[in-house]
Order: sequence, then structure tokens, then C-alpha cells
Amino acid sequence: MMDELELLKKDWKQNDDFKVFSNSEIYKMLHKKSSSIVKILFYISIAELLFWIGISFIPYFSSEEFQEQMELMYGSDIVLTTLNIFSYVVIALFIFLLFRAYKAISVTDNAKKLMKDILHTRKVIKWYVIYNLVMAFTALSISLFHAFHDNPELSAQIEQFNTTQLFIFTGTIIVFIVAFVCIIWLFYALIYGLLLKRLKRNYNELKRLEF
Amino acid sequence: MNFYRLSDSIEQSFVEQLQKHQNIVHKVCRLYTNNKDAHNDLFQEITIQLWRAYPKFRGDSKFSTWMYRVGLNTAITLYRKKKRRIQTREFNAVEFKIKAEPYDDTEDEQIKLMYTAIRQLNDIEKALVFLYLEDKDYREISETLGITEVNARVKMNRVKKKLRTIINP
Repeated sequence: MMDELELLKKDWKQNDDFKVFSNSEIYKMLHKKSSSIVKILFYISIAELLFWIGISFIPYFSSEEFQEQMELMYGSDIVLTTLNIFSYVVIALFIFLLFRAYKAISVTDNAKKLMKDILHTRKVIKWYVIYNLVMAFTALSISLFHAFHDNPELSAQIEQFNTTQLFIFTGTIIVFIVAFVCIIWLFYALIYGLLLKRLKRNYNELKRLEF
Repeated sequence: MNFYRLSDSIEQSFVEQLQKHQNIVHKVCRLYTNNKDAHNDLFQEITIQLWRAYPKFRGDSKFSTWMYRVGLNTAITLYRKKKRRIQTREFNAVEFKIKAEPYDDTEDEQIKLMYTAIRQLNDIEKALVFLYLEDKDYREISETLGITEVNARVKMNRVKKKLRTIINP
């Protein structure tokens, strides 16, 4: 009896009665939009960059009083000014790294390298998100410190708190910060988890072959 | 010659080559999709990716050889399956019109079983089977997937064994 695989190969070669696309049908396809994961990943990274840049600009769009307060704070505190400059440098750096990571993705590379490059792009975005969460946390803590320290009314009020009130007050702030970080992280894990699940599985399969 | 005419002629030559070798793309689609719509979706995505990568295509390899790589990469890595729940049975009936010798029921049955078995393989294993069925040597297989030749050989033997086990339990 013929080997099953040889039998399959024979059939595979004969069995090619596909719908034949004409030149004009193929021509039309060239100008359709791609729905590849690289493209979706690209849009998500742009959205993420804009989101975090947007968040850092929110204070400037709020009330004049708040703006004045911010300027007072930024003007007087060297740490906040440094953080601000530092954050712009980091945004520029991440845009550069993302751009470079996307340029490296090429469908003509071998499968393993292609997957690795896509996962690397994701890592750049991941570090950007982690960086932002840390920064948000730091900035929030410093701002809170200033708000309580520099605002006589508020600090006087806090000084009058009894233990329970102080406990509830601190607890609320901590819960708020933790919830914020968790929501962002969950959102992030969900998007990339769903998008790259299959790719990761295939990449691990190829990687496992090397051992 | 102006720029537009030049880009038109590049496009024309690409379309002609792809039209001629479109069976390669169809075969990738047959392996990685479940139904006609998904088949056409993937065909389109591979076409787009081929066209985008075309400026990088240098004549030093054959157009068809180059198509295998881009086709498989698109199917395994770039393509996002749309959520359509279609039964395997439907797929077998629609896409795999088995063309075995009509008088040999056993062969027919075996081939059917083989295709069903292939459906159970993972994406990488499917790629190996595909390259095997297309008579690619281990050097090309290893270069396409990015693994060593030795590992390609080892994995191929495992996949073949797996297929045989599925059809001869």
C-alpha cells in the first residue's frame, strides 16, 4: 500500500481547482486596506501615546485658577520642573523607539524573526505604559504633598482630623491610586492579550524547537 | 518615462506574476482557514502584504519562492481570524473536494482522514506539512521558519508521526 503521506501529497498536487482570480480582481485587492495585527498594533500605540500626552496636558486646559496654581507649583519646585522636562524627553525617546521597532518589522523575514520583532514592538509600548503609571503615581504623590503642605486651609483641616478620619482619608487616596493603576493595567492586558495570543503561542512553539 | 507610468508598469508586472502563481496563495488559505469567506479574506491580506513587500523583492530568488515566505508569514503571524464559527464538517465538504480515484474507497477515505488530521495541527505544524507537500527541502524550510535545518528535520519527522498516529490510532 502507498504511504499515507505520499498519497496525500499526490492528492494535494492534483487538488487545485481553486477559484482563479483575474488580473483586475487582484488589482482591486492591492488597494484594499490591510487588517494585519501590525497595523492594529500601530494604531493602538499611537492612541496610547496620544492618551498619555493628553493626560499630561489636561491641567493646561482646565480653569485659569488651577493653571495659576500649577505654574506656582512648577515654578517653585525644582523636582516638578525636572520631572516635566524629563517626561518630554521620554516621550520623544519612546516615539523614536517605536518608530524604529515598526521599521524593523518585515514580512519578508523568516517567521521567527518576524514574530520576535512584533513582540519587541509590544514590549516598547509596555515599557511606555509602565513608565507612565510610575510617573502618574510619583506626580500624584508630589502634588498631594504640595497641596497639603502649601495650602494652609487644607493642612489645618487635616491636623484637626481624628485617627479614624485620617485613616479613611489616607485609605481613600490609596484605593483611588490602586484602582487607577489596576484599570489601566487590565485594559492594557486585555487589548494585547487578545491581539497577540496566537502570535505568542506560535512564537513559543518555534522557540521550543530550538532546544 | 514619468514616475506614474513606471509605477503602473511595476504594478502590472506584480499583478501578472501573482495571477500566474496564485495557487500558492490559495493553498496557504486552504490550510489556514475554515470557509470560503475566510479563505478570500486571507487571500486578500496575503496579496496586500505581497504588494507592500514587493519593493524589497529582489530578482535573486524566484517570485514563487518569495511568495511562500510572505504567504506563510501572513497566515501564521499577521492575519487576524475574523470571528466566524463554522463547523469543521462544513469546511471539509466545501473546501476539500477530494479528488481521489473514484473506484478506490480506501484511498479516498484515507485522504479525507489525512486532511481532517491536518486540521488538528497547530499553525507551525501546518506550515511544516505545507512545505513538505510543496516539496521544499530542509534548507528552505529552515530559512522560511527561522529554525535550524536539524530542528526542521526533527520537527518534520514528529509531525509526520503525529499525522500517522491520528489516522492509524
